[in-house]
Amino acid sequence: MRKKTIAIGSALASSALVLSGCGDGGTAEGYAASGNVTMIVPFAAGGGSDIAGRATAAGLEEVTDRTITVQNIDGGSGAVGYSEFLGRNGDGNYLLATETALVALPLTQDVEFTYQDFTPIMKLGEDFTIIVANGDSELDSCTDLVEKASSERTVVAIAGETGLDNITFSLIEDETGASFDRVPFESGGDMITALMGNQIEAISVNPGEVAGQLESGDVKALCAASEERYEYEGFEHIETAAEQGIDVAFAQFRGVLAPGGISEEARDYWIEQAQAYAETEAYTTYIEDNLLQPTVEYGDDFGDYLAENEQEIREALDL
Amino acid sequence: MIENLQLGIETAVSPENLLWCFIGVLLGTIIGLLPGLGSATGVAILLPVTLTFEPVTALIMLAGIYYGSQYGASTSSILISTPGDSSSVVLTLDGYQMARKGRAGAALALSAIASFVAAILSLIGLITLAGPIARFALNFGPAENLAVMLLGLATIVSFAGSNVLRGVTMAAAGILVSLVGVASGFSTARFTFGSANLLSGLDFIAVMIGIFAVGEVLHQIRRGGERPIRAGFRDLLVTRAELRRAAAPSLRGTGVGFATGVLPGAGATLASFIAYGIEKQVSRFRTQMGKGAPEGVAAPEAANNAAANASFIPTLALGIPGSGTTAVLLGAFVIFGLQPGPLLFEQEPRLVWGLLLSFFIGNLILLVLNLPLAPVFAQLLRIPYPYLYPFVLMMSFIGAFALGNNTFTMAVVFFAGILGYFMKRYDFPAAPFVLGMVLGPLLERSLIQTSALGDGNLLIVFESPIGAILMSAAILAFAYPLASGIIRGARNRRKEPQEVGS
Repeated sequence: MRKKTIAIGSALASSALVLSGCGDGGTAEGYAASGNVTMIVPFAAGGGSDIAGRATAAGLEEVTDRTITVQNIDGGSGAVGYSEFLGRNGDGNYLLATETALVALPLTQDVEFTYQDFTPIMKLGEDFTIIVANGDSELDSCTDLVEKASSERTVVAIAGETGLDNITFSLIEDETGASFDRVPFESGGDMITALMGNQIEAISVNPGEVAGQLESGDVKALCAASEERYEYEGFEHIETAAEQGIDVAFAQFRGVLAPGGISEEARDYWIEQAQAYAETEAYTTYIEDNLLQPTVEYGDDFGDYLAENEQEIREALDL
Repeated sequence: MIENLQLGIETAVSPENLLWCFIGVLLGTIIGLLPGLGSATGVAILLPVTLTFEPVTALIMLAGIYYGSQYGASTSSILISTPGDSSSVVLTLDGYQMARKGRAGAALALSAIASFVAAILSLIGLITLAGPIARFALNFGPAENLAVMLLGLATIVSFAGSNVLRGVTMAAAGILVSLVGVASGFSTARFTFGSANLLSGLDFIAVMIGIFAVGEVLHQIRRGGERPIRAGFRDLLVTRAELRRAAAPSLRGTGVGFATGVLPGAGATLASFIAYGIEKQVSRFRTQMGKGAPEGVAAPEAANNAAANASFIPTLALGIPGSGTTAVLLGAFVIFGLQPGPLLFEQEPRLVWGLLLSFFIGNLILLVLNLPLAPVFAQLLRIPYPYLYPFVLMMSFIGAFALGNNTFTMAVVFFAGILGYFMKRYDFPAAPFVLGMVLGPLLERSLIQTSALGDGNLLIVFESPIGAILMSAAILAFAYPLASGIIRGARNRRKEPQEVGS
């Protein structure tokens, strides 16, 4: 099976090379930084990936002085967009707004790409999760939650098997020996609804998703599954899981990829531009508005991070 | 309260906000008209344009796109049997039949009026009771939602027409088609045959465009020789009798739409189906439904507008999205540095009340815009078929491409079109198929959730009072038409034994 996938992948890659020979900007050697750039967002307009893609495209447009168009190619939980991107092999005028699906999809689905098929340019930042319960819950910390889950049936909500939250809960289980019963939901919004309606005990969400409900007291934070405490206002008092004796931290990353097989020059060009973008006001605004951690990394460092990330997900989900 | 209303009016009628409200509802109408381009996509695409605006102005315009598209979407359903949005699929049943009878102008006017009435009534509900209603809706967990979905499924019996077996078969086929792709909460792909395009399933709107628009064009081509509908000026206007018949269904539709829209997960599409199903049971003219009855236009149209407005209740009162489009709008709040949540009404009174009152103005603009346009749009049907049909086909495929920016959805439209043609030819009803496709994923998700919550015990559906009431209603809705049908059938058989075969 694996062999076949690779064969299809390389066949596609080579046909893409032939195709890109006709286009501009994608010469095998050297890189002419001209022409329009397309930023593929492998999810529908309006979601977190879309916001990230549009913010990055606008920021890069400013520093490169080129036109960067965002194209949403939706479908297959991101698989369609990445497959389309695979077909752009060697074309230095394509970029893709990436996140955890890049690593999680190849692990769980029969798709024709892995993260190694693309050129890592920039990790924009990381989004950790906080674990929250209903405001009236008798739980006050993740220690309480783990204690409860070790002695009785405790129901938590997750957004899909490869979701950040399922990975976080799996890591907590591995670490503490507790066990959670999971109810799958479609989105963060649905999970918050169920939490506020007392249908479930706890959820693990990105802080940006529950900021309003935290402030009103409808939900309360038990702990942050992050390496360090949040510095954002209203979140700085939330203890990390490690502080409560549960050594668990897992983040979703957001970043920018270029297609595989692009020239060294093209790669260096985009890394340089990305570094310039990270210095801008626009970058800071994006990170702060979405409560991300600005842990930027470029090129091979980002590539190493992806390899580590894959290993972590593999272990957490026993794949 | 009075103070807040004053503040809201002051904000909403500022010249700048009025202008952008107008532009928003106009753009919404156009986006609604175009098949494939729904309100969620429309709002997301136009969001970056508004980034330089005041937040309240931007949100007034973006919300205008949302409810404006509810008006526009019904227009193409009625005229060319091509639903502009999934919540207008039901309009193709009676609306399109009215148009075929030369009553297109009247159908369009009725849908505008029903939309307006529903919008105003649901807005009053939204303004006065948003907080308490939103809190009450939180009682609807997975188990209660499962009961709502089963109740929705029960309306199939009403759509099935004369042949219940065919209706149920088509609904089952619809559910089966909706199962393609990765199941909610799992990572196992089903029926995808290794295609990445199928991982997220067959796009509902693409299938609808295929079955309704392409299928209808193919069907008309086969029949051939039909003349364009020439309606005189008098035929373009809605009659007093039609208005009177539409009044009660509009009110019932508003109620159904409002209740459905508040619930997490149900939405405008389901609301329009349930409203139609109810009319089919209670209306005095139920036998005419499906053949161009005003009730079949007014009820679902009122329902989808009320549902769209009601979906703002959880959005504004609790900061949780009530529909796909309000989810995008919540994203917009964050971009504008606002924090959606239970405190929004207190922290941003000018924004919330300005936004809410702009809804009244926007709907008024939409009514003024749509009523005179109804006869104008109806003129579209004067175009001879050799010109109209290529146009419909072109719009269908452009819409399909716009759905996912790839050619795969165009193939889906093509094959769904062929399916639609054979369904028409051999008289398999399309509406139950659509309902199955809409409800399939929702039903499956709440089934999985309920099962997970109950640790495998599905009977927890009956545990809460709300669940028990809804389940009883669903069972009744299934059993009553079947039972009364059988009884009526038996009685008829006794009276006229010759007609059994018909």
